[in-house]
Amino acid sequence: MTAALERPAATGAGGTSLERRYRRLLLCYPRRYRVEHGGEIIATLLDTAEPGRALPPLREARALVSGGLRARIVAAASDRPAWLDGLHLGVTALCAVQLATLVPYTASVPIWTGLSALALLLVIRGRVRLALPVVALVASKVFAITLGRPWLDPTLLPVDAPPVWHTGALYGGGGPVAPMAGYGLAVLGLLVLAAHRHRLGRRSWLWLPVVPLLAGADPAGLDFGRGGDALDVVRTGLELGLLLFAARAGHVARDPRWAVAAAVHLVPVCVVHAENLGVHSEPDIAHLAALLLATALAAAAPYRARRHPAL
Amino acid sequence: MVSRMAKGSPAVSEATYFILASLLDGPLHGHGIIKRTLDLSESRVKLPVGTLYGALDRLAANGLIAVDREEVVDGRPRRYFRLTDHGHDVVSAEALRMQQAASVVTGRLLRPGSAFA
Repeated sequence: MTAALERPAATGAGGTSLERRYRRLLLCYPRRYRVEHGGEIIATLLDTAEPGRALPPLREARALVSGGLRARIVAAASDRPAWLDGLHLGVTALCAVQLATLVPYTASVPIWTGLSALALLLVIRGRVRLALPVVALVASKVFAITLGRPWLDPTLLPVDAPPVWHTGALYGGGGPVAPMAGYGLAVLGLLVLAAHRHRLGRRSWLWLPVVPLLAGADPAGLDFGRGGDALDVVRTGLELGLLLFAARAGHVARDPRWAVAAAVHLVPVCVVHAENLGVHSEPDIAHLAALLLATALAAAAPYRARRHPAL
Repeated sequence: MVSRMAKGSPAVSEATYFILASLLDGPLHGHGIIKRTLDLSESRVKLPVGTLYGALDRLAANGLIAVDREEVVDGRPRRYFRLTDHGHDVVSAEALRMQQAASVVTGRLLRPGSAFA
């Protein structure tokens, strides 16, 4: 099939409004897939449509959304080596969380928040060799703040956010090890990615809206240790949702790249829990158990799908 | 219906089984497969188009079907799919397996003395 075949097909059954709505639903599919098969799918949809129908039936709409997501997952799994792409995905998630942590403190540490944003953009674009020194520089400053030292610039410690954020001092919710472990892992991951010859792809810009959603979370402290609020529940829900998506994607594509990313995400979370041993609330323990379970599911899903293939 | 032919063999869903069965008589395009599947299953398996093309991609990736030819009819592009030898083997083995499984029950139901004999 060629790009020319993606032109609007003759509308035999439902008129142009139905075709237009089907084309919108086809946006769920990757662009390349739409170019190759979009015209054919639209033609089949119109062939099977009831005469005079203007709205897609719910079951067709649901199947197109589900089919599109599946096609995107399969396309994502066919480009680069799984471990490399999974590591890139995991480092992207780490950088997004690290930027989100700094966002409430932008007025106090504008340069470091800006550098953290630059690092995330570079990682999303796959420019890991450029991102590496930027993340290393921010990591040095974070180490300084967590150790209470005025390295690199004369930052007034502790670093506080404006009252509107309702957060404590930067990295004030726990010990210094967890933030260091997160940055250390990001630097290590970037070193591995930079040393490899494979060219990395670009990650989705959809990682950017994750930053405001996570803003205000303290990576040094337990999520529910200070009582928790609605935003903590939203963050936890987002985190578990992404991990369950990782399991589903691994199952569909029979590919471990999402499991690698989930494992990268889990390491600093475990360090936080280890560093705060003894002060866990019940929701914190439930949160950790859910994370471990979801990550284990993500790890097992591709291998189970390979051992028990379904047609 | 998701069944296992033998240990290690891929499970064949009901939709997949009828898609493969619909191609036994020769190549068909997407709309043709949907109509044939509906006929063969006595209107039980009504495949949404998004599901059909996902299944066709998966079956082609596993070597059970292949694109036979491409045509443009009334300005509408069509791919005709055909069963490969491997696909033929898989659907035949699945049919035999279901026949054997069914005989376990029907053999008892039709025995003398059975309420259904």
